[in-house]
Amino acid sequence: MDITLNVNGRPEQFSAPPNELLVERLRDGLGLTGTKVGCDTGQCGSCVVRLDGRSVKSCLVLTASAAGAGITTIEGVTTRGGELSGLQEALRQEHGTQCGFCTPGMVMALGELVDATAGGPAPTEPEIREWLTGNLCRCTGYHSVVRGVQRACAAGRDEVPAGTTATTASASEV
Amino acid sequence: MTAVTGEAPADRGGVLGRPLDSREDPQLLRGEAAYVADIDLPGTAHMAILGSPVAHAKILSIETKAAEQLPGVLKVATAADFTDVMPLPCIWVPGGVESHFPPHPYGLPGARPVLTGDTVRHVGDPIAAVVAETPRQAAAALAAICVEYEPLPVVTRADEALADGAPQLHEAVPGNLNAYWTCGDRDRTDAAIAAAEVTVELDLVNQRTINSPIEPRGAVGDYDPATGEYTLYASTQGPHNHRFLLSALVLGIPFNKLRVIAPTVGGSFGTKGYLYPDMPLVLLLSKALGRPVKWVDTRTGLMNSTVQGRDHRQHATLAGTRDGRITAVRCTSHANLGAYPSTIGPGVATALMGRSISGMYDIDAAFCEVYAAFTNTVPLGAQRGSGRAEAAFLMERLVDRYASEIGMDPAEVRRRNLVPKEKFPYDNGLGWTYDSGNYRLNFDKAVELSGYADMPTRKAEARTRGKRLGVGIATYVAVCGVGPSTRMSQEGMLGGTWESANIRIHPTGEVTVTVGSASTGQSHATVFAQVAADELGIDPATVQVHEGDTQKAPYGQGTYGSRSYSMAGPAVALTARKLKAKLVRAGAVLLGAPEHRVVYEDGGIHEEGNPQNAKTLAELAMAMWYGWGLPPEIEPALDETTHFDPPDFNYPFGTHVAVVEIDELTGETEVVAYTAVDDAGTIGNPKIVQGQIEGSIVHGLGQALMEAAEYDDDGRLISADLGHYALPRAADVPFFALDKTVTPSPHNPLGAKGAGEIATVPPAAAVVNAVVDALSDLGVRHIDMPLTPEKVWRRLRGESQ
Ligand code: FES
Ligand code: FES
Repeated sequence: MDITLNVNGRPEQFSAPPNELLVERLRDGLGLTGTKVGCDTGQCGSCVVRLDGRSVKSCLVLTASAAGAGITTIEGVTTRGGELSGLQEALRQEHGTQCGFCTPGMVMALGELVDATAGGPAPTEPEIREWLTGNLCRCTGYHSVVRGVQRACAAGRDEVPAGTTATTASASEV
Repeated sequence: MTAVTGEAPADRGGVLGRPLDSREDPQLLRGEAAYVADIDLPGTAHMAILGSPVAHAKILSIETKAAEQLPGVLKVATAADFTDVMPLPCIWVPGGVESHFPPHPYGLPGARPVLTGDTVRHVGDPIAAVVAETPRQAAAALAAICVEYEPLPVVTRADEALADGAPQLHEAVPGNLNAYWTCGDRDRTDAAIAAAEVTVELDLVNQRTINSPIEPRGAVGDYDPATGEYTLYASTQGPHNHRFLLSALVLGIPFNKLRVIAPTVGGSFGTKGYLYPDMPLVLLLSKALGRPVKWVDTRTGLMNSTVQGRDHRQHATLAGTRDGRITAVRCTSHANLGAYPSTIGPGVATALMGRSISGMYDIDAAFCEVYAAFTNTVPLGAQRGSGRAEAAFLMERLVDRYASEIGMDPAEVRRRNLVPKEKFPYDNGLGWTYDSGNYRLNFDKAVELSGYADMPTRKAEARTRGKRLGVGIATYVAVCGVGPSTRMSQEGMLGGTWESANIRIHPTGEVTVTVGSASTGQSHATVFAQVAADELGIDPATVQVHEGDTQKAPYGQGTYGSRSYSMAGPAVALTARKLKAKLVRAGAVLLGAPEHRVVYEDGGIHEEGNPQNAKTLAELAMAMWYGWGLPPEIEPALDETTHFDPPDFNYPFGTHVAVVEIDELTGETEVVAYTAVDDAGTIGNPKIVQGQIEGSIVHGLGQALMEAAEYDDDGRLISADLGHYALPRAADVPFFALDKTVTPSPHNPLGAKGAGEIATVPPAAAVVNAVVDALSDLGVRHIDMPLTPEKVWRRLRGESQ
């Protein structure tokens, strides 16, 4: 099948078998290996990319069904070695990544949350955690990721990020 | 052995101990770091492995013709292709016991063949490998291989495997008993229990769990016919170890013909240090085909082939007085080794667990015995907190059971039995000598921070919302800093366990540190740069760190058991000290001052009392590069290596408090607050350690609440994907309250203790204690993990376990 995709702002034309998964096209066909494969079952979220702005698990999308769409992968967020996006910078400051395997998928999924809430109230901690349920991380326990999102959302809003110190955040709840 | 002082580094205002940002994070956040699946050598062919679909059977025939004919298929290999390849060995055989193993030609215990030709012993046991032009073609060809099986009876539980008439797994291992291992004083313990005022007993199942790093394992083999050299890229936490084991003990090729490269590794938690059949397979098939061969596992493949963890069935007894003094603890455990001894599995199932059972308590008599048995399940290995988590679970459940038996507050019972500060070094009577600790300080801090005193009020308040609130405490001591090579040899480890570092100060004054360790996500490049920069008094930004490539790094043993910072860290520090000493010697010549008056300070040397007579590190480095005018006893250039073998292990410890709420209607358990006060000695980078502690706690909560490797009666792993094996997700946990105490270890020059996985050790016990607390008025005395809503709901309705 002849397919056109717009990937990270560049038109890509190729012929793909009908059963090809989008993640295979991105990684093997287009060499965009920033998108990771962590499971066979759409559970882990390592493969999340943005499809026409919405975050999707690219291991659950057939390339053919994405024909004509605009895809953003982690490679489309920054240039190689380039400056980090606001979200990435906030995650860096909170050490929101350890082995980093889940990280590109997290950045893509959380990017949608940050975009979707821009201009409105910042997402609450439960909202961030709920949003993250599609992404598994075995290293961080998610806390630093959640703090990173809080920091990223606060940055545009001149707010003090809630819960950026683990100790005070939950000590008061006990 | 390197001399070690007992002092922690003085606070020199250096960069060690500061929460520097991880320098690895930007590449990871941009998705630029290459993991093994991202490595794309020119001409690569792709391998898939056929794993057995049945748990126990004789293979009658394997027919590969149809598969060979399929498009893109380059080779189908079976056991018959590798008759000259040795089986994968097991290198940790519990010390002091008679062990039975399938044999290995080097007289070592053999673990498993590269491919199985006669009998399969677990679902996933590798039978054949296909190499094809694309991964899809390779995977498709697996379905065309016809294997005829004659089914054999199956056993999946250790205790059942040891029963009379149980199915037999290995001819060389009659009765399936790999090892019977003991530690402690049996007679003294039995006597103390017989004489005790109070005894409590528990039967505990520490269920089998799957580590589940988010990156599945992978390997790329690349044989160069021009040089006869093999290169293996693998998701490994111990590239040097893999090099040694694979070259000498599996492939039978010279050590210097194998190079192992660990690229970025996506988490391991203990699973990626093992020898797996795929590693020799990609190398052998690359040689056979003259092309690089790449294999990347699937999630289901990982779950059926990568070592699994825990899996003890324990009968435990604790004895004490009516007024809360623990007098003895005893444990009989059946450990499930799976179908083959993994590289170090038998040691994990015995010493790491058994010697740790008394935890933070000063107990007069203790004894543990372990029956380690083979069953038709995936081989057992280490898992974040391995052994120590199983031990802490046992002890901390027992202490709560005892507290309720004598009607005393569980915090008070613990407080009364903590090893007092004056007793260090403390011999726990089970084989460990704890290096240092202030348990009371740590314990009180955690209990206080958790708001323990307010729990009665909170319980009453929760009831008004239809919730049962429970609180659970768990303490632990975790042996880390593996370790003293000689001591490990007594434990049966067939290999040294030292660690190394090399530092080069380049002519321009910048520094490169190379360590034998290999990160699986612990920000080594950041932390080891801090250690070197701190010692040398320079800006860490001028220090680069490399590791993970056996052709470039000094020999080392890798990352496991939370050892890197307390093993490679000291190696870095001691190497920097060697360099400083050399610079002082050479500096005397360069400054024209007597050596005893030359001082190294703040990244340079000067003459004492004459600060103008000085040279910066960059000036010195250039002078040493030229080497002009040096006396013969001083070699030019600045390049030193240290192999650090500590005098003994180190023993981090801590106290965790879990608060849970159980929904009366649904049985759902929510962790509503969690407090952890850990003591990892002197910490190099608190930001990185905090991340590891948070991740570790969530891992431990996973075991308590949801994780379980479930096998059916036919030995099929039911929970073989992430839809059936539950991992904690972000919404399953609250923010934690974290704090620390700092008790430096006297066993290394940084005062460091292990940190990475230690906080995985107590959470399961803390949570189960909390849930039992919440249900205690219903007569619930114990409940097995994982605490699924259904299980708890049944207990709420009065059903027994
Ligand atoms: S690889 Fe797509 S969700 Fe796991
Ligand atoms: S950082 Fe390792 S899985 Fe998330």
